[in-house]
Amino acid sequence: MFMGKKMATRSVLELPDDPRFMDMAYEEQGAVSEEERNLSSLKPEDRETAVKFWQAVKSDFRFDEYLRGCLNCGVCTSGCPAAKFYDFGPREMIQYMMRDEADKIWEFVNKKVWACVQCYTCSMRCPFNNEIAGLIMVLREYSVQFALESAKEILAPYRRVLYTVMTMGNQVTPDMIQPEAFPDWGPQAVEESKNMDVYRKSIPVDLMQRTDIGWHPSLQTAVEMMTIMFESGVMDSIKKVDPDLYDMIEDIYQDRKSQLEEIKEKWEKHELNENELPDSWLDL
Amino acid sequence: MAGERVMVIGSGPAGLSATKELTNMGFNVILVERESYLGGTPKKLKYSLLFPELRPATEVIDPLVKSVQESKNVKFYMESIVEGAKEEGNGFVVNIKDKTGKVTSEKVNAIIAASGFEHFDSRRKYEYGYGIVPNIYQISDIERMLSENKLVTTKGTPPKRVAILLCVGSRDATVGNTYCSRVCCAVSVKQAMEIKERIPDAVVHIYYMDIRTYGLMEDKLYWKSQLEYRVGYIRGRISEFMRGPNDTVIIKGEDTMNLNRALVVPYDMVILANGMEVGLGSKQVAKALGLQFEEHGFIRPSDPDRLPVQSTRKGIFLAGALTGPKTISDSITEGYAAAMKAYEYVTKGIWDESSFGKAVEVVKH
Repeated sequence: MFMGKKMATRSVLELPDDPRFMDMAYEEQGAVSEEERNLSSLKPEDRETAVKFWQAVKSDFRFDEYLRGCLNCGVCTSGCPAAKFYDFGPREMIQYMMRDEADKIWEFVNKKVWACVQCYTCSMRCPFNNEIAGLIMVLREYSVQFALESAKEILAPYRRVLYTVMTMGNQVTPDMIQPEAFPDWGPQAVEESKNMDVYRKSIPVDLMQRTDIGWHPSLQTAVEMMTIMFESGVMDSIKKVDPDLYDMIEDIYQDRKSQLEEIKEKWEKHELNENELPDSWLDL
Repeated sequence: MAGERVMVIGSGPAGLSATKELTNMGFNVILVERESYLGGTPKKLKYSLLFPELRPATEVIDPLVKSVQESKNVKFYMESIVEGAKEEGNGFVVNIKDKTGKVTSEKVNAIIAASGFEHFDSRRKYEYGYGIVPNIYQISDIERMLSENKLVTTKGTPPKRVAILLCVGSRDATVGNTYCSRVCCAVSVKQAMEIKERIPDAVVHIYYMDIRTYGLMEDKLYWKSQLEYRVGYIRGRISEFMRGPNDTVIIKGEDTMNLNRALVVPYDMVILANGMEVGLGSKQVAKALGLQFEEHGFIRPSDPDRLPVQSTRKGIFLAGALTGPKTISDSITEGYAAAMKAYEYVTKGIWDESSFGKAVEVVKH
């Protein structure tokens, strides 16, 4: 036997009762604790962050409520529109979470988690009532909190969207979405959109049936909105992934705030001519 | 001892076996049945073969029906329901309403409620398209098709590709049924074998999360279906059905044994293994008799371990699937047990008190 020499140099080991010693890979890696073994697939520089990240997600107040258990039925993945096109499945994530696999969560959060379209079909159909899409949201939130490179990369093209949402409150309004831009809607959509204004106004619920004020919030609304964004920590998250954008919004915020304060001061001194007041901050 | 009367509500396997035992012990039985025939759900839905022995359901139910029908000590109230039970003397006065609305009062010494279950209505799982997409059936429909020898698709031909989906309306928090219905695995495997017996070249796939052919059924059903009939088992729950060309049904699922592998497969016929629910009939009986419900909606026995056939109200006994999902043989056994308990109660006044759920124990580790 050509292996004979090598075999002979190896002494017979006495194996303890620990089942991990029965592992096929024992000869290569010896006895490794579960936590350590879960990290061995990661680059050494990523390991600490991966564990910290997973600890942060697990200690989130929503985590225990959202993750209940798993029957491994696969309904989430089979109903998932993203799973159709990407190597992504909600069940995979739930299983990693149930098994505390920090390394797999790390891999998942650095790539696959961004495939989800947040349609919440998985949450609606889960027979165990897991809030699966909510868990994905938690992972995304923490990846921004941790300013992961993958999050920066994925959010870079959305800079303009974030800017509009933060400063004007919304990204698009219904009147901006016209059927001409979406030929796949078909000819019927073009026909129906002719009287869309009338249809909207006939909705019997008071929804402020106006679509033309989307990018024209009043000065006070804009300042209040941005104050909420700053106070609630949303802007802190943005600062971590995109400091330039943060500076830009910060400038706009300070500008408008001082404008508003000026107006308020004038009003208190009874020097304000109400006819000169702007409808929208754009008019200033 | 003559003149003791016990009312049995429901004439399924449990009600019939209780009636039979009580008449054998010399009691008079008043049998109240909602339908116009005896035999309960197995008769109503025309069950084909019974698991695990694969014998016709009629072989089991018909002798029971016959012995009850031939008994001189049974008074039948067909197409009737109970409306209320008032304590009087050492028994109850029960109002029975027939289908014309006429109310009759009967004085009885004890009551056995055996009003059974209802199959889950798969239309409540709207994503499965039952009742909308053709060629989707429930196991409760397939039983009739098998026993009447009419297992065909809408095209009139026998199906060549059949999918059976387990756990429809069971183990599912989205419809509020978080329990396992116990029998649907065995029924589905049995139906798969019956289909293969009739159409040997058919492909039959069972989509499962866990196969619960418990006890002695493991090799009689689960193993046998693979050894002798080559039934395929695919692990994963189907999430939705779509209508395919030529009245086929396209399923969408995940093969959970292979991570993230989506399944989009056409079948000629899809069978939903719908579970068991307490049903409106038993709910009405429980309300009329003043019984309690347990957390899954079934009727609460006074002690689920020690006194499974005794209800929470003195003098009323329970038998069969109204206390939880049960097989036919379990229901027949419970009919015997309830009959014996009712006999003891009527002749000797024996009524076991239950301490279930009352003691507050502090566990120290």
